[in-house]
Amino acid sequence: MMNKTKKLWKPFSDVVGRTLPYSTSRRFETYNPNNTSSHLSSSSQLQILNLCLPHCFSQNLIFSGKNFSSESAEKFNNSACWNCNAVPKATPFLFCECCRSVQPLHHSLDYFQIYGLDKNYEIEDENLERKYKDWQKKLHPDLVHSKSQREREYAAEQSARVIEAYRTLTNPLSRAIYILKLEGIDVNEEETVSDPELLTEIMEIREAVEDAADSKALNEILSPVQEKLIQWSNSFANAFRNQKFDEALNCTRRMTYYDRVNKEIMKKL
Amino acid sequence: MDEPAYTVVSDSETTGEEKSSSAFPEIAIGIDIGTSQCSIAIWNGSQVELLKNTRNQKMMRSYVTFKDEVPSGGVSNQLSHEHEILSGAAIFNMKRLIGRVDTDPVVHASKSLPFLVQTLDIGVRPFIAALVNNVWRSTTPEEVLAIFLVELRAMAEMQLKRPIRNVVLTIPVSFSRFQLTRIERACAMAGLHVLRLMPEPTAVALLYAQQQQLIVHENMGSGSEKIALIFNMGAGYSDVALSATAGGVSQIKALAGSAIGGEDLLQNMMRHLLPDFESRFSNHGMNEIKSMGLLRVATQDAIHKLSTQTAVQIDVNLGNGSKVSKLVNREEFEEVNQKIFEKCENLIIQCLHDAKVEIDDITDVILVGGGSYIPKLRNLVKGICKKEELYNVINPLEAAVCGAALEGAVASGISDPFGNLDLLTIQVTPLGIGIRADGNNFVPIIPRNTTMPARKDLVFTTVRDNQIEALVTVYEGEGEKVEENHLLGYFKITGIPPAPKGVPEINVCIDIDASNVLRVLAGVILPGCPHPAIPVMEIRLPTVDDGHGWCAEALHRTYGSTIDLETVQKKI
Repeated sequence: MMNKTKKLWKPFSDVVGRTLPYSTSRRFETYNPNNTSSHLSSSSQLQILNLCLPHCFSQNLIFSGKNFSSESAEKFNNSACWNCNAVPKATPFLFCECCRSVQPLHHSLDYFQIYGLDKNYEIEDENLERKYKDWQKKLHPDLVHSKSQREREYAAEQSARVIEAYRTLTNPLSRAIYILKLEGIDVNEEETVSDPELLTEIMEIREAVEDAADSKALNEILSPVQEKLIQWSNSFANAFRNQKFDEALNCTRRMTYYDRVNKEIMKKL
Repeated sequence: MDEPAYTVVSDSETTGEEKSSSAFPEIAIGIDIGTSQCSIAIWNGSQVELLKNTRNQKMMRSYVTFKDEVPSGGVSNQLSHEHEILSGAAIFNMKRLIGRVDTDPVVHASKSLPFLVQTLDIGVRPFIAALVNNVWRSTTPEEVLAIFLVELRAMAEMQLKRPIRNVVLTIPVSFSRFQLTRIERACAMAGLHVLRLMPEPTAVALLYAQQQQLIVHENMGSGSEKIALIFNMGAGYSDVALSATAGGVSQIKALAGSAIGGEDLLQNMMRHLLPDFESRFSNHGMNEIKSMGLLRVATQDAIHKLSTQTAVQIDVNLGNGSKVSKLVNREEFEEVNQKIFEKCENLIIQCLHDAKVEIDDITDVILVGGGSYIPKLRNLVKGICKKEELYNVINPLEAAVCGAALEGAVASGISDPFGNLDLLTIQVTPLGIGIRADGNNFVPIIPRNTTMPARKDLVFTTVRDNQIEALVTVYEGEGEKVEENHLLGYFKITGIPPAPKGVPEINVCIDIDASNVLRVLAGVILPGCPHPAIPVMEIRLPTVDDGHGWCAEALHRTYGSTIDLETVQKKI
């Protein structure tokens, strides 16, 4: 029944957006600097909360297909720094080096651009983690604690996006799905493959996982699964490089299967 | 963005983000409230400094004595003898008791403490009382903690000659979010604002990151990534963290923790010396309290000695003609506590597995907390990590509070010209968060060890035809069944358009923002319809108060499975 219902909704996270009220300063106001005696402040003392209504929730509830194309017209935020008006020296412009302020989020910037990578599937970049940490050191919300509410919101959004980008790019399957999305090809992860050979293989692996007595047995099942993942990841790279998108799509479906059993085994280990 | 003109009263006890009002931010102080000992530290402008009390102590016992009118805590109180804490008038181990219900095994294990811990075993908060002039006077862990914090605050204010408001507190990894709200509550009662609650081993990771930064600066080296395994065993809790540090930034890869610690080692040992000690003690009479106090002190002392010597003679007169006289060797101690050490081992292995870190890649192994002196534990940790030596340029008892003080300075926006505060810790969620679905199962939506801030969603559906309501019960933990996890809150989705079962898509999204505030969003979508069928619900958690074990049962009794949810199955 479920396979008839086509996925019409976008991930909820996209829908609601990250514009939640990040800093509705709800806290106790029980501090009294003159009261240093060891009397406890009564909990019934007046507590104060800033009335911050969420940003108009409904405006984020539009199920629009996001334009993922990195070639779109508004490609780079060529606008100047919102704080000091300085012209950005480097792209991507997430952080102003002049006044050290976090810039607003631009959805047109794709994950590859954030990490200064060319839009290739194979990212033989050893420094992804370092770049991730470099960004976090500039954008992480913990570091803008004493700055304006506006900038703290920018930091929350930017930092979350840098994390999401890192997570997406470091996993071969999510990276494959993402790079196809940038080409305008949506991968339906629920779509099934009608290759009986693959289905039998997956079934057999599942049974073996269930029967596996210890971690040694599980590890023995695990390594061929991970090899298959690498193999199909390589095939994807080839297909994508040669712009054979149908073939690339086929590879992602197979990777999805192996990725799922891989996760199941890891969970049991 | 304009600041809102009006403020309203909140009934929420959790604290949010601090607003910046002054151009010169106050430096938040770091506090490590241990189950047994407590310390306080601050960034003094060039380095971290531990504050001392009037008796020149950096480590202060965590307890509060109720005597006559005014209670007094371990910060200011002058102990004539250790036995004073064990007279029944003092409450200690509050960190083990805070935010736990009376069905919790940790609460049950606390019944042999000299003060009164009474349980009704129905999922409400336990009754805790101190013996004052031969009367059991009730109190709560929050109150005890608040009294203690007020003393700490007064001590710090006196020394720093300024009011103290912002604090960074270290907490055990295994604390539930409900327990965190209790800690924040105690701080609020003491007039303190919690800037950050930091899992203990991540505070140590921060200190380690700073030390590594210094080495890099001195050697002008490239500063490659360093992976540290941190194991912390205190009196009440054991925690593990794996962190990857480079350039002052520590990414926490994984956390693991459990409510096992020195207190368990002590109780196992007491049981070994006097097998019927719990039943002897059940009536909490004056004489029993006294003899248990004697046994406790003697056992504690013996355990400490066994860290440096291989055998110890215990001779203690419990009064009423009963005596314990025994030679205990180190092997015996290790055997009596074998289960505890096994649990420690499992925690480390689980953490390594979750972090996807190979043992060979670990740069340093850091052992902290009072348990770090136990030879068995040292060998165990070295064995798992295949290391000859442990990281030794860190004080095992001061590491957590120093890390908290560093975080206090960083989070207050303080910068250091020499780059000593050029630090950042990227935290992960220590426990999974999800909802009850597919019967009585816990379905995690944000798995444990997810980098924060985090937002994830999962689609559920109805279990009956024309089901127009659905109960969303949010839990935190690792158990497969909901009852093994901590209840955080619940709400009902109403107005689901009538449809065959399995058709409405109920999307539950969990969001943890940069200040660790948890929100759940729930929406309903019908296939073929682009818009949510009803307004999206947004709930800030935890919403439960005391007696939450009770709530889950009441919900079950009232609704059964009539308004349940089911996960949408992934096809093979």
